[in-house]
Amino acid sequence: MSVSLSKGGNVSLEKVAPGLTKIVVGLGWDARSTDGTDFDLDASLFELTADGKVRSEADFIFYNNPRSVEEAIVHTGDNRTGAGEGDDEQILVDLAKVPAEIVRLTVAVTIHEADARRQSFGQVSAAFIRVLNGESNEELARYDLSEDASTETAMVFGEIYRNNADWKFRAVGQGYSGGLGALIKQFGLE
Amino acid sequence: MGVSLSKGGNVSLEKVAPGLTKIVVGLGWDARGTDGAEFDLDASLFQLKADGKVRSDSDFIFYNNPRSAEGAVTHSGDNRTGAGEGDDEQILVDLAKVSAEIGKLAVTVTIHEAEARRQNFGQVSGAFIRIVNGETGQEVARYDLSEEASTETAMVFGEIYRNNNEWKFRAVGQGYNGGLGPLARAYGVNIG
Repeated sequence: MSVSLSKGGNVSLEKVAPGLTKIVVGLGWDARSTDGTDFDLDASLFELTADGKVRSEADFIFYNNPRSVEEAIVHTGDNRTGAGEGDDEQILVDLAKVPAEIVRLTVAVTIHEADARRQSFGQVSAAFIRVLNGESNEELARYDLSEDASTETAMVFGEIYRNNADWKFRAVGQGYSGGLGALIKQFGLE
Repeated sequence: MGVSLSKGGNVSLEKVAPGLTKIVVGLGWDARGTDGAEFDLDASLFQLKADGKVRSDSDFIFYNNPRSAEGAVTHSGDNRTGAGEGDDEQILVDLAKVSAEIGKLAVTVTIHEAEARRQNFGQVSGAFIRIVNGETGQEVARYDLSEEASTETAMVFGEIYRNNNEWKFRAVGQGYNGGLGPLARAYGVNIG
């Protein structure tokens, strides 16, 4: 039984899927059929300590830094056009391998070169981001970016965080008009 | 007071005009002030299923096919120069009559004889699409394309679509360099 979350909602992963340690973050969109530069959406993940910052740049997982130090996080690669069915990009998370000092994993989605290309999520067809139970492939939460984030170019999709002894997922859905730059500053990167 | 949209933005028609079913899609542009052949923009509408395609060619509503099968969509006629204030072409839509299998109405504009006249949207000024309350005449939403410089000759101006149980309007402003042909084919219409 999948839990469908709305903005701000959270769910205990332990409760909906006891013993679950593996989750998949999936990002998808339709390739462009109209003229103009392709829409290139990028999924990323920030490993954060209790003060809400990364330990180092190595905690910013994206297509050019695809494996976290402890191998808890794996980014499966950059899709630059959205071609293909289902998820176009995926980030695999193994919660059992996340080091104890990391209390929060923040998942973000951005549009590559959004400013130069003058693109926003609303111009992309069928853009979404979701979290799946990595073992059963059940969808736990999903955001329709084209609909809900239409004028934005960067969004914090959600957070996977420790709460007492459990891991929980919270649907955030907050955009950054400053784009990726503003977003990474928040987490202690330049 | 209409909502002014930027490219990619969307608005719920139900929220800005609760209970509204009869809308007028208005398109306008400025008549040419400089020398040369007139800009003749043609509005059309594609009735699309969930898969983004028409059911048949008769779902392509334009000045030579002005009424949809269920009577939900009516094209009010061809304006060949853009002369006149306000809307130059209008498409009337009765949302209550749109067939349940139709999930989206794509409103498109093409330039008549664009290649022969060597015209494109970048040369046209004051282009806009708007949704007007068909009962009160009040403007509900608007998208101005006048800032978009473009080499295209066929454009999707906007979409009226079902989202959950409401009708919404989205400002698209994306086009096809190849003109009406590639645009219509993308929707599954057989264009010669």
